[in-house]
Order: sequence, then C-alpha cells, then structure tokens
Amino acid sequence: MGFIALVIALRMANPYFLTSWDSVITLVYGMSWFLIAACGLTLVILMGSFDFSVPSVLKLSAMIFAVLYPSMGFSSIIVAIVVGLIFGFINGILLARFNIPSFMATLATSMVAEGLAQVISGGYTRMITDPAFRAVSTTMILGLPSIFYWAIVVWVICIFMTFMTPFGRMIYAVGSNIVGARLAGVNVKMVRTLVFMICSLLASIAGILYASQIQGAHMQVGVLDMIPLFASVVVGGTALTGGVGGVHRTLLGVLIIRWLDSGLSMLAIDLNVRMIIFGAIAITMAILTIDRRRIRIMK
Amino acid sequence: MGTLDPILEVRDVSKTFDRVVRALDNVSIMVRRNEIVSVVGENGAGKSTLMKILVGVYQPDSGEMYQMGRKVPFPRDPLDALSRGISIVYQERGVIPHLKVYQFLFLGLEEKFTRLGRLQLGKIIGLAKSVFEELGLKCDLASSMYELPPSTQKMVEIARAILSVRLMVGMDGEAEIIPVIILDEPTAPLSIEERDELFNYLLNLKKSNSFIFVSHIIPEVMKFSDRIYVLRDGRVVAHHDLSSEKVTEDQIFREIVGRESYYDLWARYVYSAGAVEGRRVVLSVRNLTKKGYFENISFDLHEGECIGLFGPAGCGKSEIAKALYGEIAADAGEILVDSRKVKLKSEPYARVKLGIGYFSGETGKELFLFWPIRKNVSIVNFDKVTKRPLKIISVISFNAERSLAEKIMKKLRIRAPNVETECYSLSGGNKQKVSVGKWLEKSPKILVLEDPTIGIDVGAREEIYEVLLEMKKNGIAMILVSDDPKEYAILCDKIISIRGGVIQATYTNEEFRRLMGL
Repeated sequence: MGFIALVIALRMANPYFLTSWDSVITLVYGMSWFLIAACGLTLVILMGSFDFSVPSVLKLSAMIFAVLYPSMGFSSIIVAIVVGLIFGFINGILLARFNIPSFMATLATSMVAEGLAQVISGGYTRMITDPAFRAVSTTMILGLPSIFYWAIVVWVICIFMTFMTPFGRMIYAVGSNIVGARLAGVNVKMVRTLVFMICSLLASIAGILYASQIQGAHMQVGVLDMIPLFASVVVGGTALTGGVGGVHRTLLGVLIIRWLDSGLSMLAIDLNVRMIIFGAIAITMAILTIDRRRIRIMK
Repeated sequence: MGTLDPILEVRDVSKTFDRVVRALDNVSIMVRRNEIVSVVGENGAGKSTLMKILVGVYQPDSGEMYQMGRKVPFPRDPLDALSRGISIVYQERGVIPHLKVYQFLFLGLEEKFTRLGRLQLGKIIGLAKSVFEELGLKCDLASSMYELPPSTQKMVEIARAILSVRLMVGMDGEAEIIPVIILDEPTAPLSIEERDELFNYLLNLKKSNSFIFVSHIIPEVMKFSDRIYVLRDGRVVAHHDLSSEKVTEDQIFREIVGRESYYDLWARYVYSAGAVEGRRVVLSVRNLTKKGYFENISFDLHEGECIGLFGPAGCGKSEIAKALYGEIAADAGEILVDSRKVKLKSEPYARVKLGIGYFSGETGKELFLFWPIRKNVSIVNFDKVTKRPLKIISVISFNAERSLAEKIMKKLRIRAPNVETECYSLSGGNKQKVSVGKWLEKSPKILVLEDPTIGIDVGAREEIYEVLLEMKKNGIAMILVSDDPKEYAILCDKIISIRGGVIQATYTNEEFRRLMGL
C-alpha cells in the first residue's frame, strides 16, 4: 500500500518518473546489484547479527575485477570471489570463534577492505572498455539487461535456501533463540560462519556485476550504500533482532528504497538530504520491526 | 515497640501478570527485628515476584504494607524502597568486576561525598574502613572486585546494601529504621565452605539488621533461619517458627513440592525393576572431573536404563549433565558412547550427532516460542522431513513436516488447534510436551533430562512421565537431574547420590525409596 502511494506521490511530483521504458531500465540498473548485496545482508540480519563490510567488500571485489581484468580476463572473477569469501570467513570466525560482536568485527574488516581497494587501485578510477567485460551485466534479454536476471536468480536461490533447506531453518533458529538452537544440535558456529561467507560472497557478486555495469570501478563505489542497504532490509520487514522476516521481503524493500532514491534525485534533491531521509527511514523501520519484548540488553 | 513486633509486614498481596498468570495470591509475610526470615519454594512459586514488590520493581494489584506498625504505601521504585530501609542483593549481575572495593561500595552514593564537584576519597575510604570493621569483613579496600573470592564478593555486596540503606535513610535521624536486606539465592555461585563463611557473616550482621533469605536449598535454610515461609503456586502454604517448633527437612520439602494429587500420581507408577545385565552399555563415564565442580565420576548407562544424579542444589549434578551433553567441558576423565571415546571439549551439536539429546523443563530455553509446533519438532528431525532430489541438496518437505508433527501431537495429546499453532500460545504443559516430543521420533540413544517437569501442573506432569517411560521402554537411556526425589523414584533404575562433587553412594530404585520414605 505504502509502496503504491509512494509511486503515485513521486509520479505526481515529477511527471517524468517512470514514464518511459528507458526510465524502467535505469531503475533496473540501479536496483539489481543492490538487491544482490541486500539479500546477503538480510541473511546476516535474520541471524541477529550485522555486517558493515558489505559495501566495502563490494567495492573491493569490483576493484579486483577491474584491475586484474586486463591481465587475467574473466578468471579475475574467481580472484574477486575468493577474496570476498575470505572476508566473509574472517567476519564469521571473529563472531563465532572469538565472540567479537559482529558490529565491531565487520566495521574493522570493512576498513581493511577499503584499504586494500585503495592499495590495488592506487586510488585511480579503472576503466575497462572491452565490450566482453560490459556484456556480463548489460546484455539485453527480453528488453531487460542481464544483471536483472542475475539478481532475480540470486534472490530466488536465497528464498529457496531460507525456506526449503535445513540450513535456512537453522539461520532462523539461530536468530530466534540461539540457546535453543544450540541445545537442539544446531552447529551455531558453523551456521554463523557460513552465513557471513554467503553474505560476503553475494557482496562480491554484486561488486563484480556492478563493475561490469559501469565499465570499471572507482573508489566511490558503495561509499554511501550502507544506510540504504540496511534501510531496504528493514523496510522489507526483517527485524534487527533476528529470526523475523526474510529474503523474500527484501525485494520490496529494495524497490521502495531505490525508487525513492531515484524519485528524489529526479526532483533534484541533494544527495546529502537524501542520506538524511534514508537514515530516518532506516531508524523508523528498525523501531517498527524490532521485537522489544525479546531484548533485555542492547549493546 | 516490642522486639517481637514486625518491622516490615505485607498483608494479602496479590499480583497477576497479563491478566492470566496469577503470580501471587493473598500472600502475607512479616519480618521482625534482627532475624533471618527465609522464603522457600519451587521455581515459579512467586518468590521473586514477592521480593520485587517489596523493593518497588513491581506494583501489587492489591494488598497492604506496614512498616514499624504504621500503614504505608508500597514502594514506588527501588530508590523509594531503599530510603525506607529495604534493599536487595540479587542472585547475579551484582558485582562490577573492575571497580575497586571502595568504589563499588559507594557506587551510586558518590554525590553524598562530593564537595565542589570533587569526590572526597579520604572520607569514603575512612567510612568504608569503619564499616568493614563493624561488619567484621576482612579484605583489601584497594583491590578490584574480581580479585576477591566469590563469597567475599557477596559479602561486599551485602555490606553495600546495608551501607546504602544507612546513607539513604540517615541513621542518626529520630526515626529508627532497621535495614531489611533481601538476599536472592545468595549461595548459588558459592562452594560449600564459602557458603558457611557467608552464613557466619550473616549471623554476625543479624545483630543490627534483618534479612529475608530467598532460596530453594533446604538444608541451609533450616540451619540459619529463624522463621520459614513456604510459597507454592503463589500462596503461602506453610509458616514455621524454628525457635518454637521442630521441623524436618522432609516436611519442608513436601510442603514445597506439595499437591496431594501428586502423591496419588506417583504411587500409580509401580516401579518394575528391569534387569540391565546383558543389555548393551551405551554410555560409560570414567573418572570424569571438572575442577571445582565434580571429581572422579564413573558410571555405566545401559540401553533403556535411567540413572538419576541426586543431591542438593549445587552438588555438581547439573554440571555433570552439562558435561555430558556438551554445554561445558570436563577437564579430565573419559566419556564413551557405544564404547567409543568422545572428545571432552565439545559442542552440543556434536553430542546430538552421537545420539545424546537434551530436554529441560525450562521451556523458554529450548523452544522457539514464535515458531509453529511443526518447525519446533523438525529442528532435530531434519533427516525425517527432508528429501534429496539432487544428491547434494536436501529440501524440507512441508508435508512430511506436518505429518510428523501431527503424529507427535496425537501421541502426546498436545492440545492445540493444529501443527501451525505458534508455541508461545500453548500452556506450560503443552509447551513441555512439544519440547520432549521432538526427541520422541528422533530416538536418541541417550536423553539428558534436567528438571523435566518444572513449573507444570499435575496432569501435564503425569503425561510427561508417561512419554518418558515409554521412550525408556523403547530403549532410550536417560540421565535425570532434578530437585524432586519422587521424580527419581518414578523414572530411575539407579540413583547416584552426589555430595560436594563426588559420588557418595549408588542406590537401586527400592533402596532409594526406602531411604526417602517413599
């Protein structure tokens, strides 16, 4: 409902909003890589944890892909993904093995990823003009770019995993009642580590596809994306407390946030003001979705 | 005022939560000067609720409060209670480990010792010294709290409670107020010698204070209190003045557990001794030791046998159970499942894989309250509800899940509309049945039971026992840890008595019953 109201409001405020197929494609480009990253973050939040390193891992993977592509070709994708998985593994281990709150651990690893991206790129924008590089995300299929289909495939796989497999059930179990999950024989440490790895893997994939979409990578990739990402997960209805919500809802959250974003930017609203709006939305939704009965102490 | 007049009294206190759960039902208790009054009862009997009303955390629905014979309103909040001389020392989370003793002692009271925004350290330390001297507490004021032994920490906490009452009330005023200090299970983290140390300290403090002592450990209650109130299901069911009447531990025990019909119930379970010889040993424990908790524990558990670990709270029995299902790691010794040695340091998931399940009566602990019954059942039964259409991926079949849950619901007579009912809406007994039911189909080799029927009514108890006995008949071996001797009599073939972390004796069911007079 709110979603439809939003579309109508933006449509009235800006007569050019969503009028042509071109503007739809623009939105799809804005949304697809974002959805992939948001799916990963949703899994982590479902577990009651948080991952600050998503935009940084995304940037690092985009950068690795763009920097190594001239020399290695498409095998650079493998390098980017492996690096992403390593970050996820470290995030997971820091929480599961060393009991460092995921907020802190991922904030720290995100700094590492930022630094690495800076080092390997030297801070310069890397442009790739090879059409094959671009084709990964921008080949048109049935009027929509291929990145759209990648995103939908990832989204569907995530939904399948969370609802239909024991592993998905365990993610919810850890998020709902971690003591109960442990006593029921769930390997909590493994689940936590794997979910962080999946999250970083998806961030990597999002980064690779985004690099392909924009023909390269630069240090500004993902810089302001943490709050919108977080906002789209909670707007979708996944509670920060864990165990409530799901990846299926994140699509709606991403639609709303990206739509709002493009709508607002079409209205020529300043980026900084947009950040204020997203921050406010994220906080409001976090308050609305959180189940306060279940929290005794918040750290 | 005479010395026998109550200094603090509450009459006909009732408290209902969420309009359904009646936590307290017309409870009246009183405290005289210079005495230790104990309030005993099972978990959920209403002890904590009553104490929280006394210190202003909860407001009662009805009732009256009197102090020094005058009718007063109930405390609005803990600070209000403190200014009227009532303070509480909670079971846990009382101590702030990295504060120095004198810092902790005056925590929250600093503004009374501030001049021009500066803390008058000299004055504080001087006062702390004199208080410690008066209370007979020997410890270095400058050491950090975490460096002190647990018993001394508790004593400092009690000293702090007394001190804050004095400072809040202003002892030099004309109103003479005797501090009433509530101690909520103060001995829970302490070893046996430390407990005695604490009690000697309390007996000394009794000269100038009164204590309300909340506990479920009967021997120490008997040893140190002047009077005992027994709470059960939110009511005071018995009141004993130990100076004038003779009461036995057994009697108090019976009053705590109570329920006439419960006696009828247990008598119906005529124990039939199963011959364990010739049956397979599923679990061997050899010289299992965890420093400070238990030592040299050895026993063999056969298929379909139930062994009870029996002893007072704090004797190490629940730690042994925890070491068996992987919650804590023992330091030394061996655990063998099906004659194969298993790692001592382990997580519960690895033990579940070996066939050791766990069930406790604390439903909030292992149930996913916001999940439907179906999901709560299948969390340990994935092998039964999944299919593998492709070799590597297993997929949950919702139909299989539903029929498994329905089967268990029917078998255990779980009263709920259907398998999609979320567990928080079930009654306590039904929650417990879901909790134990998930193991029914899993058929673990060994099931560790910790207080399996705590806080549920007679009917539900009976049903839980029936389920457990049937599982036993089907060959599942069990380890029982409980506070209730009758539970051992109903379920166990062998009872190992544990005191202070070591095995004291082993009884057969008959011997145990004779010993307990059951």
